[in-house]
Formats: sequence, C-alpha cells, structure tokens
Amino acid sequence: MNAAPRGLAAAPDGLDDRRALAFLAELSQALALSIDLNKTLAMALGRIAQFMQAEAASMFLVDPASGLIECRQCVGPVNITGLKVQSGQGIVGRAVAENTTQIVRDAQTDSRVNVRVDAETGFITRSIICVPLTTAEGPIGAIEVINRVGGGLFEPADAELLRTIAAPAALAVNNARLVESLVEQQRIRRELDLARRVQKSLLPKRRRDKFPLIGINLPAHEISGDFYDYFDLPDGRIAFVIGDISGKGLDAAFLMVRVASLLRWVGKEGTTPARWLERANAELCQTLREGRFVCALVGQYDRVARSVVFASAGFPPALLQDDGGFREYPADGPPLGVLPDVGYGEQRVELGRSALYFFSDGATDARRADASRIDSTGLRELIVRHLSLAPEPRLRALIGDLKQLDLVDDTTILLLQEPRGANAQTLLDLQFPAHAAQMRSVRARLRETLDEQAVGPEMRDQLVLAVDEACTNIIRHAYCQAIDCGGTDETISLLLTRERDMLVFELRDEAPPVDPGKITARDLGECRPGGLGVPFIRTLMDEWELQPGPGGNGNILRMRKRLQASGTGDTE
Amino acid sequence: MNNECVSEALGDYTLVRLRGEVDLSWSQQVRRTILDALGANGRVGVELSEVSYIDSSGIAALVEGLQNAKAKGKQFALVAVSKAVMAVLQLARLDRVFTIFPDLDAARSA
Repeated sequence: MNAAPRGLAAAPDGLDDRRALAFLAELSQALALSIDLNKTLAMALGRIAQFMQAEAASMFLVDPASGLIECRQCVGPVNITGLKVQSGQGIVGRAVAENTTQIVRDAQTDSRVNVRVDAETGFITRSIICVPLTTAEGPIGAIEVINRVGGGLFEPADAELLRTIAAPAALAVNNARLVESLVEQQRIRRELDLARRVQKSLLPKRRRDKFPLIGINLPAHEISGDFYDYFDLPDGRIAFVIGDISGKGLDAAFLMVRVASLLRWVGKEGTTPARWLERANAELCQTLREGRFVCALVGQYDRVARSVVFASAGFPPALLQDDGGFREYPADGPPLGVLPDVGYGEQRVELGRSALYFFSDGATDARRADASRIDSTGLRELIVRHLSLAPEPRLRALIGDLKQLDLVDDTTILLLQEPRGANAQTLLDLQFPAHAAQMRSVRARLRETLDEQAVGPEMRDQLVLAVDEACTNIIRHAYCQAIDCGGTDETISLLLTRERDMLVFELRDEAPPVDPGKITARDLGECRPGGLGVPFIRTLMDEWELQPGPGGNGNILRMRKRLQASGTGDTE
Repeated sequence: MNNECVSEALGDYTLVRLRGEVDLSWSQQVRRTILDALGANGRVGVELSEVSYIDSSGIAALVEGLQNAKAKGKQFALVAVSKAVMAVLQLARLDRVFTIFPDLDAARSA
C-alpha cells in the first residue's frame, strides 16, 4: 500500500472538510498531470483507500464493447483485477446501472453483496461504499472501498466524501478515452486519405495537349466508387471509360480498382464497345458478390473523323449538346455483373463541334436547398449557363456549381469535345496602340493576311470592316478615348487564327470589363448617324462573343467566320 | 493614297472631294467639311470615287450631312461612289436613302 502523502495524515474520524479539500486538490492535480493513466489511477486508488481508511479499494470500468464492468485497478489483500460483473448485478453492477451510491453497512446479511469472492479468498467483507464514475454520457465505471480499518462501519458522510473524490477520477478516465478514440480516428483518417490518394492516382492524368477528353471525379466521402479512364489505341483512336460501382464506401472503392483495371485491360484490345462490355460483363458475373453490380459506359473516339461510338451498361444517358440543343442517349443494356449472357448495343455520334457529356448519377442526384434532385433538367441548365466557356473552364464551372449543391453520391463527369482551335494555325498576331490613327496600318496588315488565305476581295473587305469597327469600339467605348487623343499606353491585341475553314478573330484589351448585355445594336436601315459598328459585326461575322479577360482584367472579343459560307456575308 | 477632304465651289454647286480611307481617325474632319459646305448656298455633292475604305464613322458623317440638308430643304447627293463605299452603304441599307449620281455632270445637271 502506498504511503500517505506528505502532510496528509489519515483522517481520524468521519469528515474533515479542510483535509478533504486538500486531498481532492492533490488528487485532481495528479490526475490532470498524468502521462500514464493506469499508473496514476493505481496510485490514486491507493491514496483513496488510505484517505477513506479502507482495507481494500477497487476501480471498475465499463468495457464499451461487451458492456461488462471489469476491475481494472485494486489495492488490498485480495487482487480482483480482471473480475467482470454484469451491469445491475452486485454492488458495483447496481452502482453503474442505477448511477447511484451504494452503501453496505453489514455485508454478511446484505443480499446485494456477492460473497463468492469471500468464499474463495477467505477475506471477510463487512462494510462497503461504492460510487459510480459519472460523466455527461452516464456512468463509465465505479470505485468501491471495503471495510473500514479498525472494524468500524462506513457512514453516509463517507459515501459523500468518496463521491466527491470519484469526480476527478471519472474526468481523467473519460479524457483518456476521448484522446484514445481521437488518435484512432486520426489514424483511420490518415489511412483513408492515403487510400483516396492511391485511388486518385489511378485516374488518368489530365492531358494538356488540346486533348478532347476531360474528366472530373468528386467523391462524396474520402473514397469513391466512381471512376473514369482514357487511353490511346494503336490505330490512333482514343478509348474511354466511365463507371459507377453500386454502393458507397470502402468495399465499393476496392471493387472500383478491380473493375477499372478489367475495363482498361479489355479495352486495350480495341474491340467494339459492345464486345468490350460483353467481355467485362462475363468476367464480372463470375466474380462479383451477390447484389453487386457496375454501371459503365465505354467508347472510342476517332479524332480524324470526329466520330464517336460508345456502349452503355446501365449508365445514365449520355448527353449531347450542340447548336440545336440537347440529345440523350440511354443505356444499351443492363449493368455489368447482373446477367451473364447479355448483349449490348452501340451508339454512333458524329461529334463535330458538339459536346458529349457522360456523368454518373451523382451529378443528377445533387440536391438543391429544398432537397429536390436537380435531375437531367437541372444539369442541362447548368451546362447552358456556362456555354460560352471553353470545355475545360466550362467543366470546372459546372463542378463548381454542383459543389454549391448537396452532393449525396460520388459524382463523375467526363466531357468529350474538341477544344476550340485544336488544330488552329495562327495567321496574324498583332499588338498595337489603341489609337484610331493606328487602324489604317492594321487594316493593311489584315488585308494582306486575308489575301494570302485566298479569301475573295469582297469577303476580305467585309472582314476588315468588321475588325476595324470592333477596334474603334474598343478605342471609343472600352478605353473611352476622345478620338484625337494620342500618346496613351493602352493597347489592343489582334490574333487571327484559322482552323479548317473557320477564321477566328480575337481582340484583347486591358480596359475595364464591358458588360456584354449593355452593348446595344441599332437596326440597319434606320437613317441616323452612329451606332452602326455592332450591326456591321453582327451581320458580317457568323458569331461573336465578348467575355472578361483572364482574372477579370480586360475584355476578349472573339468573332468567327466560316469561309465556306456564302461569299456576301449577308446571312439574313 | 493619302487621305484628303477638300471642298470645291463650282458655281451654285459645292463638291466635297474625299480621297483615301475614311475612318475614325479623321471622320470628324470629313463631317465638319460636309456641314460647312451645307452652310453655303446651293447644292452639295460628296465625291467618293477615290475612297478605298469607309467605316461606320465615315458613313455617319454622310448620314448627318443628308439629315442636315433635308432640314434646310437643300439637295445633297453622293457622286461617283466607289465600289468599296457602295458595299458599305448596301450593308447599312443606306444605298437607297441617298441620292447617288454616277458622275459630277449628272449631279450638276440634275
């Protein structure tokens, strides 16, 4: 038994407030500063026994897993460490179950007392106090003291004292447990984070070389059951895959790794998308556990012909967006791993300049503030909202919008679209002071360039006029210059590119952003001076768009003209 | 071709001769010359055979001249319109709004 703390003699009789307070302070401090809780609890229990003038003392803790109450520390002639009792049974069981103090003045005649230990050890239990170790979440154990030294009985005041002393012990045990579970949680989090990174590394790297496929995967939790993939085939076509494993969490994530490898392996052979799915399905039907299935879409894209063929196994409808609006391509067969001998159909789409979206159902399952699903309709609205953007920023904007909503499932989007200017050739790249006097030489350079492209003289003059009007609008309205003001360092950049028969005129300035909605155009034929610039551009170009420059600095005006179109440029 | 804008008094007819590329950099000067010509007595014509380019600000100067003449009840015509100018007038749907003569003689004898 531990020696009494210095300056702390055993209380002679009953309650001594001052001494109790000093003991409590010392005990609390020892527990608070404890590094090894078990050691500290053993020491604390010895001091409690001594302070309470008890022959024996023990501390019981509830095992959260089994619900049993186990003796974790004890002092006295009999070691009962490891003894387990059911909640509600015996003195300790009752103290915990009822969260009340138990006092036994004569153990030999009290039916609550389990005398089995006495019988086995020869120890005679006479008098007991047992108090629960109480936390905000209820009792987590109990402290029991047995037999007053010298043979006296424990009084209710002793019980009150023990209850007071038990409080810091309960606090210390509880804190230790919280720390332990926090450490455990952090360990799990670290491992999940590692798993997430490994999983992410399995997704293909973003290709910067004006590659026509971009994918984004947003796991609902740390790890994802969704995946996408793309790779080059020996014949130059690009193969792609997007999939969604049923279920969420760790098992779906592990399965994803296997299914992604399988689909890549089969897809490398370059068989038709239907055959590709059929082979993967046969394999998965043999190996998937009951109730598991995989929704997947696989396809091949021919960049030269701009033609795509794909097959879908229970995957949400592919969404084609072109000038005419949206078109959906539903699945060609059931998910993989359900029916062993199923055949799949195929869809062929002439992509041209349109965009083909493949998305897992997480995208359409995104919830608005009122918990309603956004559905395909909501997704289309988001796509339309960002239509003026190039594919990559558009996909990022789309994902940004989805993140604002409540994503309840893993969300993956794969976008197939030829980036604008993928094969563009730069014809003219000029930067000049934003001044009206510069325009004559700019027009001359532009005429020269257009002549080299064998654009007819009529269309050449029209294009020169449209670019000139756009530049003078920048000078007058974006830079707000007085017409005869020179000597500013404001500039305009003109980039003329050609891709096949499409000419793209891009004008950049560093003026404050212009709101495209505020650009007004008068009707042609209206006889008044001024305001003709924008109608000229509108009439002479096939399309034009105005957007803020990078980082919101300046403006970018893009005008496009297809050379095959009628030579007059009069499109009305 | 250098830009040029001169006003020539031919009896009761004032002819404004334009040459070169009419654009924002000097269309204000063109506008002023035309309005000054309309301030004098007699009819006004703008000769455009040597104009190889005209932008919307140049067209605006011509439109303003026409409106000014109408307000004063004066004759205002375009004379010997070059192909380049005609293309832009047609584009602006103004080719039928202006009185156009093939040459100075036709303009003066009208």
